[in-house]
Amino acid sequence: MTKFANAAALEGFRRELLRQRDSIKGTVTICGGTGCQTSQAKKVIDALRAELARRGLTKEIHLRPTGCHGFCEQGPLMVVEPGKVFYCHITPDDAAEIVEKTVIKGEVIQRLLYTDPVSGKKIHSEDDIPFYRAQDRQLLSQNRQVNPLDINDYIAIGGYASLAKTLAKMKPKSVIDEVAASGLRGRGGGGFPTGRKWLECHDAPGEEKYVICNADEGDPGAYMDRCVLEGNPHLVLEGMMIGAFAVGASQGYVYVRNEYPLAVEHVRAAVDQARELGLLGEKILGSRFSFDVEIARGGGAFVCGESTALMASLEGTVGEPRAKDVHTVVDGLWHKPTVLNNVETWANVPSIMGKGAAWFKAKGSKGSKGTKILALTGHIKNTGLVEVAMGTPLRTVLYDIGGGPSRSKDIKAVQTGGPSGGCLPASKFDLPVDFDALYDAGSMVGSGGMVVMDQGTCMVDVAKYFLDFLQDESCGKCVPCRLGIDRMLEIVTAISEGRGKPEHLPLLEDLAETMSLTALCGLGKTAANPVLSTLRYFRDEYEAHIKQGQCPAGVCQALIEYNIDESKCTACGACLRACPYHAIQGKKKEPHHIVAAQCQKCGICHAECKFDAIQVA
Amino acid sequence: MLQYVTINMDGALLRVAKGTSVLDAALEYGVCIPHLCHVPNLSDMGACRLCIVEHVVNGKAKVTTSCTLRVQEGMVIKSNTDKIQRLRRNIAELLVAEAPNSRAIQDIAARCGVKTVRYPFRNEKCVLCGRCVRVCKEMFAANAIGFVGRGKERRVASPFGKLSEFCKRCNTCLEVCPMTITPCAGPMKPGEEYLCNKCESQLMEIASAPDQCFFCDLGEGFQCSRH
Repeated sequence: MTKFANAAALEGFRRELLRQRDSIKGTVTICGGTGCQTSQAKKVIDALRAELARRGLTKEIHLRPTGCHGFCEQGPLMVVEPGKVFYCHITPDDAAEIVEKTVIKGEVIQRLLYTDPVSGKKIHSEDDIPFYRAQDRQLLSQNRQVNPLDINDYIAIGGYASLAKTLAKMKPKSVIDEVAASGLRGRGGGGFPTGRKWLECHDAPGEEKYVICNADEGDPGAYMDRCVLEGNPHLVLEGMMIGAFAVGASQGYVYVRNEYPLAVEHVRAAVDQARELGLLGEKILGSRFSFDVEIARGGGAFVCGESTALMASLEGTVGEPRAKDVHTVVDGLWHKPTVLNNVETWANVPSIMGKGAAWFKAKGSKGSKGTKILALTGHIKNTGLVEVAMGTPLRTVLYDIGGGPSRSKDIKAVQTGGPSGGCLPASKFDLPVDFDALYDAGSMVGSGGMVVMDQGTCMVDVAKYFLDFLQDESCGKCVPCRLGIDRMLEIVTAISEGRGKPEHLPLLEDLAETMSLTALCGLGKTAANPVLSTLRYFRDEYEAHIKQGQCPAGVCQALIEYNIDESKCTACGACLRACPYHAIQGKKKEPHHIVAAQCQKCGICHAECKFDAIQVA
Repeated sequence: MLQYVTINMDGALLRVAKGTSVLDAALEYGVCIPHLCHVPNLSDMGACRLCIVEHVVNGKAKVTTSCTLRVQEGMVIKSNTDKIQRLRRNIAELLVAEAPNSRAIQDIAARCGVKTVRYPFRNEKCVLCGRCVRVCKEMFAANAIGFVGRGKERRVASPFGKLSEFCKRCNTCLEVCPMTITPCAGPMKPGEEYLCNKCESQLMEIASAPDQCFFCDLGEGFQCSRH
């Protein structure tokens, strides 16, 4: 392929693409994101391809494997055009039937449709599914239209038009003004105004500048960046190009963790294709702007998501943060001015430049504009990726989109913002998804992870989990983080094992303050948040552990006991067979009982019992 | 020609050479800022966080380490507010609980006003201040030792666990190590943990003016640059 000489050539190519695609009668879109790949999406794609080839339909029917559609719970997913017929839980065996009935005859296969769990009705079209209906999918909706390995798909839906417009008509300063006017704030967790960051980098002295895309997502339960990068890598690249033009950088890096093989593969292919078309390289689209992108793979250290640690890792040294008394926009990668933004932040840039700051600003709340992708996980019916306008109440996200609790227990709390965020109780569910509102409530939007927890979750245990995670992931450089987390974990473990003392709670708070004020980097400064927020909203649970020696949720092993309710026990023997420690005794037709000395409190019997006869106390 | 800037430290105007750190400026003028990982003439990594000060920008005080902060014209620094003293005490408490067997760490804890320790004592032999690593790398360009591992696993070791062929056996790493001075009463045995009180005579004097350098002996163990 030849390189585009100017914006008109790009537009001409797009028209030509659309004209060629006119002859296509139908499109079969299958989610090939990581979530769906775990449920056999690849085999489904192969089966469909073979079936279409067998019938000689490859030219008329466009088969498009795409990135994540978001409804990972129901994967593998498929949308058949025309008609927007939405199928879920497809297996490779369904391929022939789908091609036969839906693709050729336009009939709908009832069996494969999504069933609304509330009304029990089958839903034909994606637009009518409550999970999708309540969302505002600006970024994620593009995933469905694009094969991430094919730049033509991206160009066909108007991709790189924003770049062409920017390069042809705008000055760097006016790009920055536009982004600043849009009110875009960093999606990686900090929520720092992107326009201000760019301006500071633009104004920083120095010829050589860099832009970096931070795809080192590591929060437990968060995978927004992964899906954007896997599903639509060109969107991120286009954002980076516009950013590089604005701040005056000629080299960019995508720092992506090696645990995301698909993201690495897709973004590499995207860079190669963009280079081939002259969208990366010297004098892009006939302008004086030259820019190239390199892919750097991270080794999976959580701390390397921190800007200075990421830059250290990029430079080839140990990924440890350094003091940021001089900001990275002035003294960043190789001591040059550097703009580092998260994947989602970059992905928002093309549409801001394309549709204008006012369009972007129209969505969202007072201090937080645009939409935010959230990763819903945990005890919730519809796990998956959700995109909502900023300012949407948590309740809408959890109940309307998420469909409420997945088990029979009520939702107790939602953990937002990963290990740096906090747990918000049900009484705070009217809070909007808004940087400032969640921060004031002791949590944060963070990168957008939302782990939903129901009544069967012990908040002390949750705090312990996050401390354990952070203790592993702390780089260990500074004292408050390394020793502070260590001591916090020691104390919280003591509490969960019934060795807690009343003076532990003020000590935790004192230590948390010290850590948040004195730690070297963001990881240490926010490491105490899971403890602080659970202490703030669930202090009674901590106190129950300490004073009564009880775990109200029945989770902390040292504080619980399993008993068999003789009136409910039918002597079926299920628990007896399941117990790996032979701690359950009983004869046929006689209620069983648990030998306390042998019981290891693993809870297997509790899960096994169909008659609710095994109780936790 | 050396250029100078004027900074405001606790209300006093100090004239210091451009490019120096706030910690060096303070020590030069006799303002006591406790520190551990700082070694004169080596790069600062900001690991121990004891030298924190409040840096006032636009009326907002931000806590930051003075060793990594470079002086700037008109900079306002508060080195010994109640808040800073409290935070320092908490950090020193974490350190001394980790290594109560070190004279230097005990002295630092005493200087920072630690009276009781709320955590169980451990007898760690290293507090990961990184003085040895930096002196080996920066003064002797040997890189014979370095940090290995992350978080709780972090430790100082030679490459692949073998004595590096670049080690010149100069012993400077031992000289700068805050753990090598024999403590007053020897390592703590389990059940006999207590904080050394032998420095109390010094503390009486120091407590009256925590922000001033008295040339006390408490800095001996980690070679306080004023000592």
